[in-house]
Amino acid sequence: MSELAVAMFAASTDSHLLDEPRSARFERFRAELDERGVVAELERRGIRWVARGDHLFPARLRTIHDPPPGLFVRGTAALTVFDAPCVAVVGARACSAYGAAVAAELSRGLARAGVVVVSGLARGIDGAAHRGALETGRTVAVLGCGVDRDYPRAHRTLAASIAENGLIVSEYPPGVEPTPWRFPARNRIVAGLCDATVVVEARERSGALITADLALDEGREVLAVPGEITSLLSKGTNHLLRLGATPVTCLGDVLAVVGVEPSRPAATALEPRLEAVRAAVADGPSAADELVRKTGLSAGDIAAALAELELVGAVVQADGLYRVGMPMS
Amino acid sequence: MLARTVTHALVGIDPRRVEVEAHIQGGVPAFAIVGLADRACQEAKARVRSSVAAAELEWPGTRITINLAPASLRKEGSGFDLPIALAVLAASYQVPAQSLEGHAAFGELGLDGRLRPVPGALVAAEGARHAGLTHLVCAAESAPEVALAGVEPVGVRHLGEAVSYLRGEHEPPEPPPPDDDFAVLACVPDLADVRGQERARRALEIAATGGHNLLLAGPPGTGKTMLARRLPGLLPLLGDDAALEVTRIHSVCGTLPVGACLVRVPPFRAPHHSSSVAGLIGGGAGSLRPGEVSLAHRGVLFLDEFPEFQRPVLEALRQPLEDGVVSVARVAARAVFPARIQLVAAMNLCPCGARGDAAVHCACTPERIQRYREKLSRALLDRFDLALTVPRPRGHELAGPPGERSSVVRARVLAARARLRDGPPSRTPSGDELLERAAERLPLSGRGHARVARVAATIAALAGSDHVLPEHVAEALSYRLPKEHGE
Repeated sequence: MSELAVAMFAASTDSHLLDEPRSARFERFRAELDERGVVAELERRGIRWVARGDHLFPARLRTIHDPPPGLFVRGTAALTVFDAPCVAVVGARACSAYGAAVAAELSRGLARAGVVVVSGLARGIDGAAHRGALETGRTVAVLGCGVDRDYPRAHRTLAASIAENGLIVSEYPPGVEPTPWRFPARNRIVAGLCDATVVVEARERSGALITADLALDEGREVLAVPGEITSLLSKGTNHLLRLGATPVTCLGDVLAVVGVEPSRPAATALEPRLEAVRAAVADGPSAADELVRKTGLSAGDIAAALAELELVGAVVQADGLYRVGMPMS
Repeated sequence: MLARTVTHALVGIDPRRVEVEAHIQGGVPAFAIVGLADRACQEAKARVRSSVAAAELEWPGTRITINLAPASLRKEGSGFDLPIALAVLAASYQVPAQSLEGHAAFGELGLDGRLRPVPGALVAAEGARHAGLTHLVCAAESAPEVALAGVEPVGVRHLGEAVSYLRGEHEPPEPPPPDDDFAVLACVPDLADVRGQERARRALEIAATGGHNLLLAGPPGTGKTMLARRLPGLLPLLGDDAALEVTRIHSVCGTLPVGACLVRVPPFRAPHHSSSVAGLIGGGAGSLRPGEVSLAHRGVLFLDEFPEFQRPVLEALRQPLEDGVVSVARVAARAVFPARIQLVAAMNLCPCGARGDAAVHCACTPERIQRYREKLSRALLDRFDLALTVPRPRGHELAGPPGERSSVVRARVLAARARLRDGPPSRTPSGDELLERAAERLPLSGRGHARVARVAATIAALAGSDHVLPEHVAEALSYRLPKEHGE
């Protein structure tokens, strides 16, 4: 069978197709399709096509119950990245500063340990996950539109740097517009590519929960980051936890699920001056002013200490609140 | 009979000499003003005529023609009332014509003959000085302003008083002594009113020392405006030349308090976010008037709800921020206004304002937040050396003891400014190394790099250090623009 023809036909008819349809319309389409021409055009644009029958097609994705006919791939990395352990880090688009910080930190740690971070290039958690992973390792973005579409526009530069260091994949040929129904379909690929799916923040009805459901359907691990029980943004994740998802309390929790040994960055002992400030931040998210009162240092000294701690990655700042980075174990 | 008085029209913030000629000839009683006089100026006829009657003088019952020369210059406003009245009185022999020699006149008349101050007395007085005149007849309220220009003010309250002075019957009253500088400073709100907010206070101190532009972001009600209002109280008082420059602008715009003399305290202006480009930068249909940036010259321009300003207004700020002047060109006129400002801008973290406030849930979508932040161009954000997020203080902070007084902080600022003037603190290898590491890790753009270095030098000066040490660089780094504003 020609997977490329199926993929092109599905895109041109806006349908969700896995196998060759037995229709005269498809036969006509296939007869008219110049497959070599399409492949040559893709090659010219630097986009690879990997069919489901190809030995390079990600093995985990092939085993889901509705694998796509193939993937269009943009980016420089070899397709063997999918042989490494893969973890999906997904969540709300309208996320909190806390969620974005956790997604970034978690992805940074995962990528450093050699895990490929897979996400959907959406705003919010997805974007933070990609950014974090890019700093220390490899990441894969799965799109619900053509790989050349850079959707959302705000993530155009992010997409470019992912293409440089990782992969952008989609089951849709280049040029296909993003439409709402394609995103849940995209989520099955995100879940299907990965050994485990981590949901960082999700409202009660969130696309990230669809990804988690799909992962469960395929027997993959689902993890969720616990959040405040009073926050709407944690409703979905806390619900997952109640259903039995593994809680993420540190990086080690995720690494243990995919069976990877954590590679610790060489722990540098902080100066006592910095350690005191870090300890004060560790009590809970605090504004700089609260730290001034807690430590008795001057506002200038606190500002300097916080900047140095930020530089070594010991604290992160968002919306004026400082919090400590993700615990390793 | 022909008589002549001298006055000065305002062109932008500069004076232009205008001769007021009154010609009285026989014929049907009439009163005409020629020489491109605008509506307010034409209406002088009614005021002058009533004033002359009120001063128990005689209105010539013949044909009177007033010419405002040069005839090609547009004359606006009511400052011509007094010179017109004096010219008519001189032409009708009620005031000796030679007594007007060496005198300029400037002021608006009431129907009862009372003299009212008009904006721009200082500029008119400067014009008089340049024209070689020694005295300026003006409203008593304008006398202190006139004295600043080095011209002898003849401050009078009534047209009759002016006439008796010119007839040599009595001397005008002495102008009141100028206010004490420090008494003026006492009117600026004190930093002690701000409780908590240690980080923001510190940033304000650094901004005052280095003259850095400051961007404050945070939910509403966190004291952003309160902090900004206290910045002028931390700045050094204006020197003589600067004070004169500032006073001139405020004199033209009529924003000087009545009876005020030299503006010594750096001005503070906070235009609303609905302001137009002309309102902020300067301009206008006929004559050009200075805008808010010029009113804030050598002081603080505070723009609250910064992203809510129209985009063209914000972009128009870039020239004054860069050059310290604005040049405004219209078909009819062009003008250059000084506009050396320190910009303090305040904004919320999201359009609904709830972000950064733990007590309220923010319902803004990422798209809305992005659109909100995209209103600020990279080029404009580059002008802010200091940026900080002001989170909502917890309740108990507000119950805490009052902070340091402005006078204490001001002493430190002045000392550090003196140190910076003597020569900026030198760079050190360890400080540079931290800056390079940060530039790579964060990352910092070329401009961001320069901004951090500038702020670090200011912090070193505040610390009394001759060298920029790593802790100074680290503190400067903590005031950099958050990444999300630049992306």
